[in-house]
Amino acid sequence: MIARVAGAARAGESRIPVEDRLFSLVLALLATETGLLKSEILSSVRGYAERYDPAGQNANLERQFERDKDDIRELGIPLETVESPDRPGDNQALRYRIPKGQYDLPDEVRFTPDELALLGLAAEVWREASLSADSQRALTKLRSLGIEPREPVIGYAPRLRVRDASFEPLRQALDRRQTVRFRYFKPGEAAPRQRTVDPLAVVLHEGRWHLHGFDHDVREPRTFLLSRIIGPVAPVPGRTFEAPPPGIQDRILAELDALRLQNSADLAVTAGSDAEIRLGRRAVLRDDDAGVIRMHYTDVAVFADELAAYGPEVRVLAPDSLRDAVRSRLETVAAAHRGGGEQ
Amino acid sequence: MAARPKPLKGPDKLVFLLSFVPYLLEQRVVDVAEAATHFGMTEEEIREAVRLIATSGLPGSTGTYQPNDLFDIDWDSFEDDDVIVIVHHVAIDDAPRLSAREAAALIAGLQYLSASPENADSASLASLMDKLTAGASAAPSRLAVAESEADASLATIRSAVAEGRQLEFDYLNARGERRRRRADPLRIISQDADWYLQAYCHLREDVRNFRVDRMSGLLVTEEPIGDHSHRRVPDTLFQGSDSDLDVVVDVSPEALPLIADYLADSSTQEVDERLRVTLRLAHVHGLKRLVAGLPGLITVVAPAEARAAVADWAAAGLAGYSDAGTMRERRTGDR
Repeated sequence: MIARVAGAARAGESRIPVEDRLFSLVLALLATETGLLKSEILSSVRGYAERYDPAGQNANLERQFERDKDDIRELGIPLETVESPDRPGDNQALRYRIPKGQYDLPDEVRFTPDELALLGLAAEVWREASLSADSQRALTKLRSLGIEPREPVIGYAPRLRVRDASFEPLRQALDRRQTVRFRYFKPGEAAPRQRTVDPLAVVLHEGRWHLHGFDHDVREPRTFLLSRIIGPVAPVPGRTFEAPPPGIQDRILAELDALRLQNSADLAVTAGSDAEIRLGRRAVLRDDDAGVIRMHYTDVAVFADELAAYGPEVRVLAPDSLRDAVRSRLETVAAAHRGGGEQ
Repeated sequence: MAARPKPLKGPDKLVFLLSFVPYLLEQRVVDVAEAATHFGMTEEEIREAVRLIATSGLPGSTGTYQPNDLFDIDWDSFEDDDVIVIVHHVAIDDAPRLSAREAAALIAGLQYLSASPENADSASLASLMDKLTAGASAAPSRLAVAESEADASLATIRSAVAEGRQLEFDYLNARGERRRRRADPLRIISQDADWYLQAYCHLREDVRNFRVDRMSGLLVTEEPIGDHSHRRVPDTLFQGSDSDLDVVVDVSPEALPLIADYLADSSTQEVDERLRVTLRLAHVHGLKRLVAGLPGLITVVAPAEARAAVADWAAAGLAGYSDAGTMRERRTGDR
């Protein structure tokens, strides 16, 4: 008996494709003013109704509805839950709806063909799967306006990669305002340490992704480098937080910039070398005769890693902290490669 | 708009349906072929969507999806002429808002683009970002990309690409050799902070990637570029060649994503809490920089020449910090 019911449910699922069920659900929830009860949805909306058991065995269907609700909200569709004024707290009396005023793209949001071409290019920037998918979905939505973008610029493909494994879980946590836990290997510490953080903003500064968040262990805001997060970023169940102020990401970028301007290094670079070219374009002062450039940097450990890559092409003149950091990195690399190694 | 021939998942198909309906209403009468081009989909995908929409609607008070509660199309036009006309619609008529994540992804993409010369008009960029924010159903995710300085020669190279004219320039290669080159510029591609020109190199008689910041003495000639339509311009910056060097390294697991571009294959083997993998690089000059830039995280195991190249590179770097050198340099530095 049980096997037969399960089989029937599967057959029902294959008859109505996912997008058909989701589309029917969105239409039904947009059309209702007062909202629909879950029982009304499951018994009447296409994709559910075929599998609805009037006798009440609908646990699978209810779980399906929960997942569909999450999927729909993920797409930015404002699916609301309304409590019954007579029966607060009663889940069976909850009503669901999508208020049309919050669903429709506001009238003033319209784009010129030039703007759409630029947005198309912006969407192509992302090589990372979820950012790319989000951008493409946004473009699909904007195509509904029926405006043809200006011909895209040929032969131009700017790209930004995201190589930090912690990026995507942090971006999700940012959106869901979900407290997370991760191990962080702070420069200068002997071993990674666990942190519990409310993620407030994720920014790219000087080619590196940073997380700004409220660190529960020190009870203060802190900025972390994503590349130094070790292992998984785990959500802390049931712990969420208030939305940070709008524009916090720009404030963090400004703070990182201010921090960068506080630190300056004098470097001797070999003429004609890769170091001269690449570091030289970020120099704030340069003395070409002496082959010396002055640069700002944000983090001594991170900058030392970068400088070590240039080997003999760059030599740190000042400050001593950076000199020592680069020297010890080169010693580490030299020591690890001394001798023939394993064969 | 570029077609993306990729099967969509359920939620993506939903977004398409919710966007397709207002498009059809706005256009009133539209060819299947035109709609397919506009959305970057196949004609059959468009027809399938039309059939789905035409049989969709509201359950109505009786929960039975009566005709008046359904979308309807002009079936004759659709079946005979491949033309879509919605004659009755329910529930939706407007474009959906963007999600917070979608708006944020585009805004951050625009911030990255703001480094390029032709997008210097920051006022119009700012207004575009404001529109995306206003068009999102919730405040866009707090994601931002700092502006960076673009290379000045980028604008010149872009105009050469757009006009299809040959370029001449001095190029400093990874080995430190400088040579005058002539090339047919095909495409500009960037990766993070670095910009590259993909061009047909007259010297090598093949398509090559040139890093823009290693180019100097740039000259846009009067000569038009040749026909390269038969050549494949690679979509990635790292392409294999017969002269490539395979190098076995041990890497800390957390550093693996940082060398993903160079992995020769996907096989890994655990060795003392590290992963042993094989990298493929054009030459040791790239390898020594890569390894020295990840100090302590990656060690070359074999071949011995590659190990030696890294050891020499680090040792040469260290030599600059011998104490005699230190005192002299400190005086030239102005602190």
